Amino acid sequence: MKIDLAGNPLELLPQRAVWWPAARSLVVADVHLGKDQVFRRAGIAIPSSVLEAELAGLDGLLQKLPADRLIVLGDWVHAPPIEGEDWPAAISAWRARHAQLAIELVLGNHDRDLAAWLHEWRIEGHKEGIEINGLQLSHEVVSEYPFAGMSGHLHPVAWLRAGRERLRLPAFARSGDHLILPAFGRFTGGFDGLVDPQWALYAIAGERVVELAPDKRRARPLR
Amino acid sequence: MAIEGYFAHRGWPVLNFQRRAWAAYAGGRSGLIHAPTGSGKTLAAWGGAVEEMADDGANGLNYLWLTPLRALAADTARALDRPLAFHGLENAVALRTGDTSSYRRKKLLEKPPPVLVTTPESLAVMLSYADAPGRMAKLRAVFVDEWHELLGSKRGVLLQLCLARLKALNPALKIWGLSATLGNLDEATATLLGRGAAAEIIAGERERPVALVSLLPESISRFPWAGRVGVHQLKKVVERIEAAESTLLFTNTRSQAEIWFNAIQSVCAWPERVALHHGSIDRALRESAEQGLVDGRLKCVVATASLDLGVDFPTVDQVVQVGSPKGIARLIQRAGRSGHRPDGQARIHCVPTHALEVLELAAAREGLAQGRVESRPPIRLALDVLAQHLVTIALGGGFEPETIYREVRATDAFADLDDRQWQWVIDFITRGGPALKAYPDFQRVVEIDGRMRVPNRRIAMLHRLNIGTITADGALQVRFSKGASLGTIEERFLTRLKPGDRFVFVGRALELVRIRDMTAYVRSARGTKAIVPAWIGGRLPLSTLLADGMLGLIDDFESGQAPDSPEAVAAAPLLSLQRRVSALPGRKRLVVEHGRSREGAHWFVFPFAGRLAHEGLAALVAARIAARRPVTFSITVNDYGFELLSAGPVELGEQEWRELLSPRGLHEDILESLNAAGMARSRFRDIARIAGLVQQGYPGRRKATRQLQASSGLVFDVLSDYDPDNLLLAQARREVLEAQLEYRRIERALDRIARQQIVVTRPERFSPLAFPIWADRLRAQLSSEDWQARVNRMLAQLERAE
Repeated sequence: MKIDLAGNPLELLPQRAVWWPAARSLVVADVHLGKDQVFRRAGIAIPSSVLEAELAGLDGLLQKLPADRLIVLGDWVHAPPIEGEDWPAAISAWRARHAQLAIELVLGNHDRDLAAWLHEWRIEGHKEGIEINGLQLSHEVVSEYPFAGMSGHLHPVAWLRAGRERLRLPAFARSGDHLILPAFGRFTGGFDGLVDPQWALYAIAGERVVELAPDKRRARPLR
Repeated sequence: MAIEGYFAHRGWPVLNFQRRAWAAYAGGRSGLIHAPTGSGKTLAAWGGAVEEMADDGANGLNYLWLTPLRALAADTARALDRPLAFHGLENAVALRTGDTSSYRRKKLLEKPPPVLVTTPESLAVMLSYADAPGRMAKLRAVFVDEWHELLGSKRGVLLQLCLARLKALNPALKIWGLSATLGNLDEATATLLGRGAAAEIIAGERERPVALVSLLPESISRFPWAGRVGVHQLKKVVERIEAAESTLLFTNTRSQAEIWFNAIQSVCAWPERVALHHGSIDRALRESAEQGLVDGRLKCVVATASLDLGVDFPTVDQVVQVGSPKGIARLIQRAGRSGHRPDGQARIHCVPTHALEVLELAAAREGLAQGRVESRPPIRLALDVLAQHLVTIALGGGFEPETIYREVRATDAFADLDDRQWQWVIDFITRGGPALKAYPDFQRVVEIDGRMRVPNRRIAMLHRLNIGTITADGALQVRFSKGASLGTIEERFLTRLKPGDRFVFVGRALELVRIRDMTAYVRSARGTKAIVPAWIGGRLPLSTLLADGMLGLIDDFESGQAPDSPEAVAAAPLLSLQRRVSALPGRKRLVVEHGRSREGAHWFVFPFAGRLAHEGLAALVAARIAARRPVTFSITVNDYGFELLSAGPVELGEQEWRELLSPRGLHEDILESLNAAGMARSRFRDIARIAGLVQQGYPGRRKATRQLQASSGLVFDVLSDYDPDNLLLAQARREVLEAQLEYRRIERALDRIARQQIVVTRPERFSPLAFPIWADRLRAQLSSEDWQARVNRMLAQLERAE
């Protein structure tokens, strides 16, 4: 699905990412790496394959696209690593496989106490967001005041309605020249509250991204 | 005997069954006492302990009294205290429930009372303290009140495990259950005491006879054929309430209760003397309604199952049941809530809400007369509960796997546990799962010096917060912007409202102001236009016993031997009409009806297996048809049958129906036909909570769990992708079949159909059996006004057919 954001042609990818050809950048939001580990720390048995799958997902996209840069719109990790844990090493190994890639991270609310690790992973952290080609890239947006740019944080999802069946799908949300990305991380929840018709929803239905007209979607399932 | 002294002091005669229970207790035996409410069951069980304490005194915590409802605990504590106080044992009874303050709990630990009244969940929490073994070993006896309520639930499973633990700490422990009458008393006893344990089953005095009085319409042809509310009978009901001192009015769902409460209030002359009581209402408001009944301030309380159990209301002299009670056990239970009348009867007025419920009531009357009552099947092999319990006792002093395995296997719930399942649960709590690599750095339970323990304090704290098996199902607090809390409503209802939307709750019209922090802030709304929330899970299926009774009655009607009860007489014209336009179903006959309408081709099938089983059956048949030709159906079910509706014509003869309803290949077909994965995913919610895979949000504890928020659906997806052999996933699938779809009932229905004659009819209009199903579907699809208008038009058409 191709859209135009303040004069910037963008491609919305079903892998929950945006391809920005003019900036030769791959944009993702809310990866939440290490979330499975945070759960295991609390004695909740979530398998670590979640992390591997997330990194493999990035691998797949970087292989396919001529990206010079990966832009992460916040929440790269779910919580800072604790000494002795293995998962940061898995990220370092992944980073080594993409040595040429520039990585810019707009710090999200989960990216706390990360300076040393960002250095190790060669990720440039931006506290205040960044501007590229007239697009403001930040972690959060106040949904009533969308600016020209992109954000994450909300993890938008949409309900697809067909007959009696309803399906909850991750979605891109757009209002004017603002685009909210779905969470890239799969072990994350979603927010289905972007019901105002000013928000166009582009749902990820398997291999495709489809725009859901307001009458084809429901904010919440009606019982 | 000391206890007899107390009886004499109160001027009560000692009943035979009480004497038998005391003797059995004195002999060191365990058992089950079953008798109706208010028949002296409590003292039958308790007398033995009073005697023992009068003789031996007390040394620490000697007696536990477990009640499923914490609302009951205070009252029970008083009842247990009285005979002890009479013998000079002052302040022997204390309370501990989820409401008890942490200061008080600490005091209870430091200086335990001889008798503690508590809930199964509180017992589990007590077992999670490191010094539990020493303290609990002093227990002489445990009493389980209202065991029939716990028996068929995971709370019952948790309790079985806790009891096994207590028995291991003191092999001489006596365990006594108290239960209402059940169809499976032997099984209920074995479940309480463990399979093969010696047990005394003591029956109370004969049940109070139940007098069933139906409020029937003058003519059934003027009576709605469908619907669930029944307020057209309002005038009669209000007259009855007027005539009685104090009335308890039961409905089957919370929405119905709200509607009836408003209706009664708006027409009666004493609106301030009516109150509402259901599970979503704030505890303080419920208690005030209960107190109003006790002290006679209230004339009528409209209630749901929330008042099925609970303290006695001697002032209540009348019980009204709106809608069919759906089972005989429930009818007896509710009738028993009325105080004793001079004629010794428990009287219940039943208000059918549509024509076929008249037939249900006729069948209920026959069932009562024959003294039949439903069974409650216990739950087996709930691995989520086992995992939780093992972490609990790992906290409570630790355990050796070998020993605990034997202990767990001694319970009825886990008697069939095999080594593989056991090993899986141990792996789950120690390493996350059997594949070591999948769960690096996981630790919950750790082996230290040969014992399984929980060394991590945070994990221990999270576990204690999550003990129990009752899921607070995404409920939001409802409260006024300035102050008072009204209760809770399910998240999925509230979150689809916008600020400014109106809804009815606790009998008031409310306007949503905003939702924040798991709380919905509301203000009073003017005007009356407001939606009544549809709560989840309100509708119980018709019991097999009652459904079978209905078919038996129809058989009797056909052979001209119908009983002359008022309900049977009232239902007769409806059955005649059914016979004239189609055919009558029966124990030996399955009726299938076909019809065409603007909507398409309708197939109605009436197996009388209850709504849950019909859901499965309908999906099964639809899939089997679709396997032969490409066609999609929309499905509607009720307690009597199901409908398949297709846009294009689908022609099916008797032989084809026999094949479609064949029991052969049922298991595979049903898994394929249903969205079994989707259903298992939602079923996983409870399992994940109980096994500790999701953390509940706690007010005030948000910080501790904020980073651990993940929905059970998400966890289900992650496990399905990366640990597909996880036995908790398998359990979710099993529960979908057994609990959600009543697989065994589907199986029995198909076995019966295989021996039945199948009659395919093509009535010109919807028959009396088909109409309610059709109307139900419309209700689900159209707005209520349209639905009502359309149903009325259809009804007019139908009545012209007579």
